[in-house]
Amino acid sequence: MKKPLAILGELFIALLTVLWIMPLVWLVVTSLKSENTVMSSTLSFVFAPTLENYRKAFASTLLGRWMLNSLAVAVITTILTVLIDSTMAYVLARIPFRGRNALFLFILAGMMIPFEVLIIQLYLECTTLGLANTLVAVILPRLALPIGVFILTQFFKAIPSVLEEAAFIDGASRFTVFRTIILPLSKSAIFAVAIIAFINAWNDFLWPLVAISSSEKYTITVGIANFQGTHGTEYSLIMAGAVLASIPQIIMYLLFKKNIVKSIAMTGIKE
Amino acid sequence: MKKMTGLAMVALVLASIVPIGAQSTQKPLEITFWSLFTGGDGEFFDAMVKEFNASQHEIVMKTDTVKFDDYYTKLTAALAAKTAPDVVVMHQDRLSTFVPNGVLLPLDAYAQKAGIDLASFEQAPLNNCRIDNKLYAIPLDVHPLIMYCNLDLFAKAGITKLPESLSELFSTAETIQKKTGAEGIAADNTTATYKAYTLTRMFLSMLMEQGVTVFNADNTKANFNNEAGVKAYQALSDMVNKYKVTPKGLDYDSSVADFKLGKAAIHFNGVWVTGLFEQQPGLNFIAVKFPALFGKNAAWAGSHTFAIPVQKTIDEKKIMGAMKFIDWMTNHGYLWAKAGHVPTRKTAVNTPEFKALPHRSDYADAAKYVFSTPATPKWPQCYDAISDSLEEAIANGRDAKTALARMEQTINDILKK
Amino acid sequence: MLSRDVDHKKRDILFFSLPYLTVYVAFMVFPVVYGLYLSFFDWNILSTKVFIGLKNYVEAFRDPEFLSSFSHTLQFVLISTPLIIVVGFIMAMIAVRPTKTGKIAETVFFLPYMLSTSVVGTLWAWIFQKNYGLANQVLTSVGLSPVGWLTDPAVAMTSIIIATLWWTAGFNMILFSAGMKQIPEEIYDAAKIDGAGSFTTLTKITIPLLKETSLLVLVLQVIASFKVFGQVYVMTGGGPYGTTRVLVQYVYKTGFSYFRLGYASAMSIILFVVILLVSVIQLFRKSDNTQ
Repeated sequence: MKKPLAILGELFIALLTVLWIMPLVWLVVTSLKSENTVMSSTLSFVFAPTLENYRKAFASTLLGRWMLNSLAVAVITTILTVLIDSTMAYVLARIPFRGRNALFLFILAGMMIPFEVLIIQLYLECTTLGLANTLVAVILPRLALPIGVFILTQFFKAIPSVLEEAAFIDGASRFTVFRTIILPLSKSAIFAVAIIAFINAWNDFLWPLVAISSSEKYTITVGIANFQGTHGTEYSLIMAGAVLASIPQIIMYLLFKKNIVKSIAMTGIKE
Repeated sequence: MKKMTGLAMVALVLASIVPIGAQSTQKPLEITFWSLFTGGDGEFFDAMVKEFNASQHEIVMKTDTVKFDDYYTKLTAALAAKTAPDVVVMHQDRLSTFVPNGVLLPLDAYAQKAGIDLASFEQAPLNNCRIDNKLYAIPLDVHPLIMYCNLDLFAKAGITKLPESLSELFSTAETIQKKTGAEGIAADNTTATYKAYTLTRMFLSMLMEQGVTVFNADNTKANFNNEAGVKAYQALSDMVNKYKVTPKGLDYDSSVADFKLGKAAIHFNGVWVTGLFEQQPGLNFIAVKFPALFGKNAAWAGSHTFAIPVQKTIDEKKIMGAMKFIDWMTNHGYLWAKAGHVPTRKTAVNTPEFKALPHRSDYADAAKYVFSTPATPKWPQCYDAISDSLEEAIANGRDAKTALARMEQTINDILKK
Repeated sequence: MLSRDVDHKKRDILFFSLPYLTVYVAFMVFPVVYGLYLSFFDWNILSTKVFIGLKNYVEAFRDPEFLSSFSHTLQFVLISTPLIIVVGFIMAMIAVRPTKTGKIAETVFFLPYMLSTSVVGTLWAWIFQKNYGLANQVLTSVGLSPVGWLTDPAVAMTSIIIATLWWTAGFNMILFSAGMKQIPEEIYDAAKIDGAGSFTTLTKITIPLLKETSLLVLVLQVIASFKVFGQVYVMTGGGPYGTTRVLVQYVYKTGFSYFRLGYASAMSIILFVVILLVSVIQLFRKSDNTQ
């Protein structure tokens, strides 16, 4: 009696899954077509694949260099973000003081700022600070991650305070407690923040574009944007660029899928 | 002992990073340079810069490229912070947004000092770079709106003559459309990855063919809500709505692809797609100047120019180096013509290299009929607004009176601010 | 112990929060405050600033392009938010199934979220390209007429929403599935014994127990939707003729293409205040519910 319904359900799931993966398949397929065939044979999945677009990308650009820059920016941003977000969250979660809620709201308000509209102000500021055209300028404005503080605060609050109190009685300082109790117990939440920081830093486009002026310091997203022609759109080359810029995240995702999923779920878990 | 090895290591590492001192006394002058050429254009341009660097030993140009959409964002920020590079590429129609703010260097004296023969330039594009009688940029090219015709489709429909008037344009397009089933005119009229700029470019050209500029003399009011404007608008609207020789809702990428794949008989676009069409096997086409649809010849054209930003401290040596680079680049305009653009310097056009290029000579005289866009800082905004208005009016089949009145209102509002 | 705690409390608070607050104030709060300052000036970045009081704000409320951009943004928020949440919820119901298909589906659903805005934008611009894109090629190959996905003003916003849905629904799926996994199995067992069908279980158990999660998802989604920019910028550039132009895009264009930085700042302050108000209302409702 229930069987046809179950089959229908499975069919629906399969359909939705195929529908969701299709754009990515097509992204890769397009990137393997030559510029001359991409428009004339949109639908054909059978064609002579060519790595011409990838060859072009590597031959005429500093692709390897840009990947390294992106990696450096993303890794450093991630580490520093986790550090400063977690200490901030510790204060908000575990040290009661007057004005704490206000401070918490003040920090959450940062989530509402559309970053794109601050670019010029930031640029003028970074130039004044002597940071123009440095990767430091790319990293610094991305370190304060309000959602990270939010996730960590919620998580720290959920850690039973008995552990902490015992340590205080033994004469431990807050720093020791933070380092030896809070952090080790919060691995999954920290991983969540790290992932979000990494994705953000890796995918950032507009700010590195403005902040960096010499091409050897470009990040990958800025570099591949130049694949778009001055007049007109060379779809297959652009798609090749898109694939190259996405490979690191996709690999990372497939490797750490379980952790990533689990940690993003942290955002939603309440005490 | 250990310490010594350590020191030796450090020395070794240092030696490998730092170029050997003795040979570098004649270190070339490094000049920073920003360009906005990407894709096919970028390949030709980068090759030129490379050739310049190899042609002499005093100057090394260090180029950084940013794609067009974001180029001016970045440049403006850099100009405001006085961190702009030594030389920049700039569209001629953007000059008037920068020059009044004193961020670009007047070049007359430097050009003279560097021995650049300004008389060897086509005077129209060069004069477009003058504001208040001062030269603020030196044009590398003009890239006018031209007409591309697919000769095979013309032949198939038995047409031997290229259209030279408005009625001929429509009748040719209709005939070919009827006889071959191909699209008559591929002209983009809707926004996708690009705005429907071709509509605006055609509109401006058609006004100018009737001797009318788009704004009044001091750029304070729209000047198209008149007889000339009605004729120009009607032509564009008829093309899509009455004769239906151009599909409604055609976007830029489609219009280019349609012509490239031999699916369209006539295509209106800038000269920059010539290179792309040449690479398409089996496409037999001709590229000619924008036809005189309303009597006179006139064509909208963009122009890429070189300008020198004002720096915190003026370094004569760098400026002279930059001028040398500009001189070389404009003189070798035939290399740049490979990307389709028309060189601005007679010394570049009158070379066997330029004449050997197919198609270019067919439209090279278009440079004579180009006109400059209004010299107002509001132009980029007006350009967008006119494109949006024309697109809206044609998509909804508005009559000329309504369309032009609305557009006039929009433009006057912008110019008033 | 207590006195010791009090002694070092101030120092510790400072020590722990200073790094974050320094960066936060320097690179987020300061630019906003600077923007607020600029919003009272007429300034084209390169010229000298001229104080004009509230004129920029007055202009915004009279500027038809600002008002239309605002309403397009609102339209995007109102349509995309429930859609992305509901699809995320359905995906979560698929993902929590302990079957192999459930696992595969979960992997696939979340994958797009890893991509950058520019990649998502260009990919979907290509899919929806009118004459050569995948979507219309599929339609015409089965005998249907092509759709002006990005060129028809009645459809363009929907296309942007579809791309956004594809991109971000996976994120909400994970939040929801985490919530679902927290619901004790016994409740479902009990319901089954009482003879409740799957629909009843869904409406009477799963949804009410996910109220918390749903509110959080809602807040995050509304904020993200108000800030929509990248997809629109890449896919339609605000077209056809400005019918999909959203607020952040108009601000960006005004500031960086037309160089009216004072006016652009004023508009971004308005947007910031709107997002702040909407989120604060939601957050307060949330804390009311939990306390």
